[in-house]
Amino acid sequence: MSHTDNTPNVATPGGARVLREHAQECAECGTQVPIDRLAGLLDSTAVSIDAAALSQRVLQRVRPELERRAGAAWWRRVAAALLVALVPLPLVVAYDAYLLQMVYGLVSALLPSTVAAYLVLSYAAFLVLLFATTYAAIPLVLSRPPRLAGGGATT
Amino acid sequence: MATDEALVGQLVQGNEDALRELLRRYERALSSFIYRHTAGRDVEDLYQETWLRVVREAPRFDPTRRFSTWLFQIAVNLCRDWHRRARPNDPTDVDDLEGPRALERREAGLDAGRLLARLPELQREVVILRYYEDLSEEQAAQVLQCPKGTVKSRMHHAMARLAELVKER
Repeated sequence: MSHTDNTPNVATPGGARVLREHAQECAECGTQVPIDRLAGLLDSTAVSIDAAALSQRVLQRVRPELERRAGAAWWRRVAAALLVALVPLPLVVAYDAYLLQMVYGLVSALLPSTVAAYLVLSYAAFLVLLFATTYAAIPLVLSRPPRLAGGGATT
Repeated sequence: MATDEALVGQLVQGNEDALRELLRRYERALSSFIYRHTAGRDVEDLYQETWLRVVREAPRFDPTRRFSTWLFQIAVNLCRDWHRRARPNDPTDVDDLEGPRALERREAGLDAGRLLARLPELQREVVILRYYEDLSEEQAAQVLQCPKGTVKSRMHHAMARLAELVKER
């Protein structure tokens, strides 16, 4: 069905069927109502509305409200994602600190302690950078507009 | 393809594409329904108000319900309010209209419009939903929030009245 044209909107094919069904069930209507004539008259209506233009104006009118909602929803998603990501962070940091200590112990046994400290601190700085990038990426990933996806048939 | 109900969920998140899709699916049916209910008057206002309510009330929409039923319920309630607010000297019956507007309408061939306008509001709603929107008795009952038997009875009275009007012509 095209929704952009402005053609007269006549009854659905089921229209006359509805009248006939009722007339079959109802003896009074079955004998007294001229179904075909009535259906012909009811079908004669011309609904000349540019529904697509009406819809465009609806969209314009509700756009500020939708933008406000989209903004609020984005912040809610960011907050939730950051919260979920921050929960395991202390454990990850503690484990990394433990690993770095072990690596430092190992490397300082083989190399001068200054060089070992330099290597371990460089690696620690790299890990910090990695964490920062990961957390900064959360809003970027969430800012992607949701797709019109969903299962099942339309109603 | 997303279901109507899923689209409402996305509308709650402010997704404009979801609303655009819902509008595309229902613009013809809804605008025709309003047009027939009000004999073509204030269609744009009522159409906009219906969708504004959809957007506003979307967070409270129960996704286990059918969206189409909910949408038409909103439209029915707005049209009923519109009829209640209609000024006494503002005739609903297009036959009573005078001036260029009436002429324009008559020329547009509003035979069905005249017939529908002569039905009581509750009967008119049933005829529009059953005849033009092809809703089952059960669906019409859900939209009108009344028992199925009431829909059947209103349809019966509407048909009897329409038959009288047809015979008068």
